[in-house]
Amino acid sequence: MIDKLSEKDIRALKFGAVGAALILLFVFGSAGHERWTKAKASGAVLKSKLDVINVDKAKQAGLMSIVPVFEMPQIEEEQKFLFRDKLSEQLRKAGIKSKPLQVQAGRKSPQSGYKLLLVKCSATCKFTQVLDFLARLNENPYLVGIEELKIKCDPKKRGEVELDFTASTFAEQEK
Amino acid sequence: MNNDKSNIEWQSVVAIVNDDGKFKGVGLRKQGGSFEILWTRRSEDPDVGWREFAAECGLSVERSMLEDFESDRMVVVGFSTAGTIFHRTSVPAVGDKEIESIVGLQAETRLPLSPEQIELTWRADKLDDGQLGVTMAVARKEQLQKFVDNVRCFQPTKLLLSCEGIVKIWEALFSGNKENAIVLSAGTHNTQVCLVEKGRLSNAVVLDMGIEDFSTTAVEEQTETTERFAQDMRSVLDLFGCADQEQLPVFVLSDGSATYVSIVSSLRLAGLNARVASPELEGIMARSELSNEDIYRYRTPIGLALLALDADYNELNIFKNLYNPVQKVIKKHWVYSSTASFAIACIMLVLLVVVSYSVDIAGPNSIEKRIEETISDVDMNQLVKRQQLIRTVARERPDLLDLLKLVNESGQKGITLTGLNFKKGQPVSITGQASSNDQLSRFEKNLQKTKGIEKVNYTANTNVKSKKITFTMTFLYKNFSNKTTRARI
Repeated sequence: MIDKLSEKDIRALKFGAVGAALILLFVFGSAGHERWTKAKASGAVLKSKLDVINVDKAKQAGLMSIVPVFEMPQIEEEQKFLFRDKLSEQLRKAGIKSKPLQVQAGRKSPQSGYKLLLVKCSATCKFTQVLDFLARLNENPYLVGIEELKIKCDPKKRGEVELDFTASTFAEQEK
Repeated sequence: MNNDKSNIEWQSVVAIVNDDGKFKGVGLRKQGGSFEILWTRRSEDPDVGWREFAAECGLSVERSMLEDFESDRMVVVGFSTAGTIFHRTSVPAVGDKEIESIVGLQAETRLPLSPEQIELTWRADKLDDGQLGVTMAVARKEQLQKFVDNVRCFQPTKLLLSCEGIVKIWEALFSGNKENAIVLSAGTHNTQVCLVEKGRLSNAVVLDMGIEDFSTTAVEEQTETTERFAQDMRSVLDLFGCADQEQLPVFVLSDGSATYVSIVSSLRLAGLNARVASPELEGIMARSELSNEDIYRYRTPIGLALLALDADYNELNIFKNLYNPVQKVIKKHWVYSSTASFAIACIMLVLLVVVSYSVDIAGPNSIEKRIEETISDVDMNQLVKRQQLIRTVARERPDLLDLLKLVNESGQKGITLTGLNFKKGQPVSITGQASSNDQLSRFEKNLQKTKGIEKVNYTANTNVKSKKITFTMTFLYKNFSNKTTRARI
């Protein structure tokens, strides 16, 4: 049958075959390209996630020395109680009798998605108690950092200091 | 000069000529060093032309049928040299272009035709005493073009001069072992006379006397014919410039019949060194038994076929400007085929796509899947968030115990600290009392040297009564005193 085809017919068939191949290439190619783009983006996200999680041992040890314990922040209402209770417990353990802890409104947070809550504490205690308290502070799993610390000695009353400090914690922002 | 030498090794050839008004064709095959005549064919039908006879010989006469050019079979056609003028000349040892010019000028002076009306070809011998012998052949372009138009339908591979075929078969099958000779090939009505010099054709003419003229039984007529023939031959020798060479051998190609003996006798009587040359079939095989008569009958096409299979032979190609044969498609190893290369490229492309799919698409998906399986209940995003928060906390958490230790270690005996004020984004300030300015100065210097503490400044006041110096010292502690830290709070 192919012998009966003229050169024109054969040329038309060739063009048709090339056209069909191009259509198939376009259809499957565009779908494949879309899938490939998605997969590539997904791969990039995955890689960035893995980079965050997969920290080398030395760095992880450094982080653990500064932040030995950590609890994921809760919503503000829960977090402020948890933090205040833990801080009170730590003050009590150090033998510091403080005035009632005051929770202050959060300011701009260094971490998006989380509020920064401040808890202010004032007390009169011994300097050794302050040192004891500061040494145990890292054991608070809700603590972010100490924002302010004032220690004032009365020269007349040796060993006694006036302590004012403000500690911060994260609270999950309500959606 | 024909320089269109091909490197293609042909294995078989079909040669066709129009000899004595009859079409003759042979098929010949080369096998190692010997030749085999596959078939012979002739047509005496006056209505048969080149096209019809080519078809009878099994050649494709349709343009679209190109199988002959893709096979190992070559097709050659002989051109009768009746209207072709040969000339022999010598030129100094110069290049081909110069020879071309010299030959062209000589042809113009010898022929009463303009260069546009003629076709010219030439062939140079080997250099001898600083001179090159050149054989040139000239013919009317119109005549050649007509011939080309007749044979173009079956796309012959070569168009050759028939007289070159005669010289070739004389050498191959008629014991033609002389360097210089005259070869006579007598047809029914005419006789081809060829001058062979240095083993190659150097001149040729056609006499209008043939075997039929010698076959008459009348004695008077025969005497007249032989005399006329002898006279014509003397004129030819004169034309060839061999009139004074009485010992130049004249070979009369023969099928072994008595007529050729009488031709030789007549030439001998005229004083020529004539002899009969009969076929010797040692160097050639045939599928069907061939007699001397058959070899003689097909001498011209067999000679042309042998010539065509001789890759080293430099034939006189008078058709070089008029006919370009379709080149044979050289069969190459499939590795060199562009189709195979394209197919391999396609396969490689597919492999590339598969591999890139595996690496770029399947890879991340499967990794993510495995991680999800390994982590099980714990959400990976929670892990990421936790890790990010821990990092932020580590950045935000000052070690105040360490700060107190640094201040204490820098202090001198006699210095009493009364207060410390740390606030993120502000310089740390300490207050105290010192016994002397020296102590205070050394304290400041020690602090300055401490790692993590910068820009130490102090102000001091001396109490007149107690002689004690009260001071306030400020410094920057790590990155916590920077204003940017404050701004983040």
